[in-house]
Amino acid sequence: MALAALPTITDPSVCSAMSRLSQEFPHVGLRSISIVVCTCREELRGSPEGALPELVERLARHRLQAAAA
Amino acid sequence: MGYVDVSGIRHTLPDGRVLLDDVSFRVGEGARAALIGENGAGKTTLLRIIAGDLAPEAGAVARTGGLGVMRQFIGSVRDDTTVQRFLVDLSPPAVREAWEAVERAELVLMETDDERTQMAYAHALAHWGDVGGYEAEVTWDTVTVAALGLPYERCKYRELSTLSGGEQKRLALEGLLRGPDEVLLLDEPDNYLDVPGKRWLEERLLETRKTVLFVSHDRELLSRVADRVVTVEGGSAWVHGGGFVSYHEARSARHERLAELRRRWDEEHQRLIDLVRTMQQQAANSPDMANRYHAMQTRLAKFEAIGPPPDRPPEQKVAMRLRGGRTGVRAVIAEQLELTGLMKPFDAEVWYGDRVGVLGANGAGKSHFLRLLAGQDVRHTGDCRLGARVVPGFFAQTHAHPEWQERTPVDLLWHGEPGRPGVDRGRAMAALRRYGLAGQGDQLFRSLSGGQQARFQILLLELSGATLLLLDEPTDNLDVLSAEALEEALTAFDGTVLAVTHDRWFARSFDRFLVFGADGRVYESVEPVFDETRVQRAR
Repeated sequence: MALAALPTITDPSVCSAMSRLSQEFPHVGLRSISIVVCTCREELRGSPEGALPELVERLARHRLQAAAA
Repeated sequence: MGYVDVSGIRHTLPDGRVLLDDVSFRVGEGARAALIGENGAGKTTLLRIIAGDLAPEAGAVARTGGLGVMRQFIGSVRDDTTVQRFLVDLSPPAVREAWEAVERAELVLMETDDERTQMAYAHALAHWGDVGGYEAEVTWDTVTVAALGLPYERCKYRELSTLSGGEQKRLALEGLLRGPDEVLLLDEPDNYLDVPGKRWLEERLLETRKTVLFVSHDRELLSRVADRVVTVEGGSAWVHGGGFVSYHEARSARHERLAELRRRWDEEHQRLIDLVRTMQQQAANSPDMANRYHAMQTRLAKFEAIGPPPDRPPEQKVAMRLRGGRTGVRAVIAEQLELTGLMKPFDAEVWYGDRVGVLGANGAGKSHFLRLLAGQDVRHTGDCRLGARVVPGFFAQTHAHPEWQERTPVDLLWHGEPGRPGVDRGRAMAALRRYGLAGQGDQLFRSLSGGQQARFQILLLELSGATLLLLDEPTDNLDVLSAEALEEALTAFDGTVLAVTHDRWFARSFDRFLVFGADGRVYESVEPVFDETRVQRAR
């Protein structure tokens, strides 16, 4: 069964977090990282745009680290 | 647009004295009102009550449009407050609180990086955005560029103590004038500003559409900017609806009117008392008169219950008697004088009876020049002499007397000093009374207000028998009435006066001017020159 293609992400806060976290957590699949990051982005949707990249990446990293522990 | 409405304010000092009673006035939308009064009359207290820092004992303050406050101490901040903190403190309460919340969240995040803390931080940032924090930061950038020539990001962590008094004032003024608050309370906004700075302030206050209530002693600023004058005197306040130019006339007329009303009340009071007495005697002889006697008693009681109209406020009685005396025709002669590192050599002659204004850039050596004439040790080359019988009397800026801080005026007068004989307590108190300082005779010098310290120094000049007055910014801390008393005293003074001043109104009373230029050149002018820029030196 062919896996569904990853959705195209254009949100800069998600893109920057994805690219850095995928390097930081190579053993975690790109799809999982994407789900974690997108969830974090969704939960932080009320935050100011300028602060989003930092907030999303920080929260996603925290969750990925917690899952790995 | 905003307004301030003060009604029935009462405030009592800790010692039980009533400082303000039944103070009511309104500063309407777009008005530029000056708040004036003698030193210690309660201007700053009233501003603090309007700002909400002090709760009044009675009465209420109503206002709309957001309130921006510039406090008196700005210009002399010497602690570790940063530019960022300073601008936050000038912001509306919602922005201030949101900023505090972001700061707190950031600190917690440094210690604990868990999910809850991160969400709290995100929430604080969202709130910061909602209350207009990001827009405020854009305004702060405009403010720092205008006031300091630096973008906000480059100077936000700079300590305020590294800025000059004028820069601190300008930063605050730019922040308030460009900020969202529609009502501004400015406590001595012109202090620490040089004349170009004061002119800038005047222009900005004239062009702003905000409602402004400001305290100032600068008569030029008052006459140019204020469209109404609120006077705090005699424990209450009244409003003159015109500008400062017609203020003196209005004040005299008001005082006369109050005195007349009081006189009429006293006369009516006495008439009623006499009637009651007469009817008392008639009632004793004729029972028919008893009812009329009791009716008259009731009428008198009602009249007394309403009370007399407010008394005429006591006039500030400052009687300066600077006598001086005849000296040689040439009072001061300077030949190729150069104060080392401050200026180029210059020649000058000052004649007996001259009134010379010493003007020029900050740091150009004006105060040093006066100190040299006063006989103090100032490094110089060239020659500087005083004429026959010229006795210099030096008035220094208030901070120049550390040795007086722990002594009282009576003690300082009693001991005397070289050239000024000591006087006994009775004479000392009489002299202090003439300068409106009778109540401060036994107070420590350091606890006197700036204006009281200045008046005391002028009294010392009077007692020293000086024939050449060297005055360094004498009107800086004087209220409007004391400054006028000083001007009158100088007019009557038989001798020569040299005064360093940035007070444009005061400078008008001088005959000629010695200008210390920013390029080191010292020249004479028949008109006051206030445009010399600040002297730039390597620091």
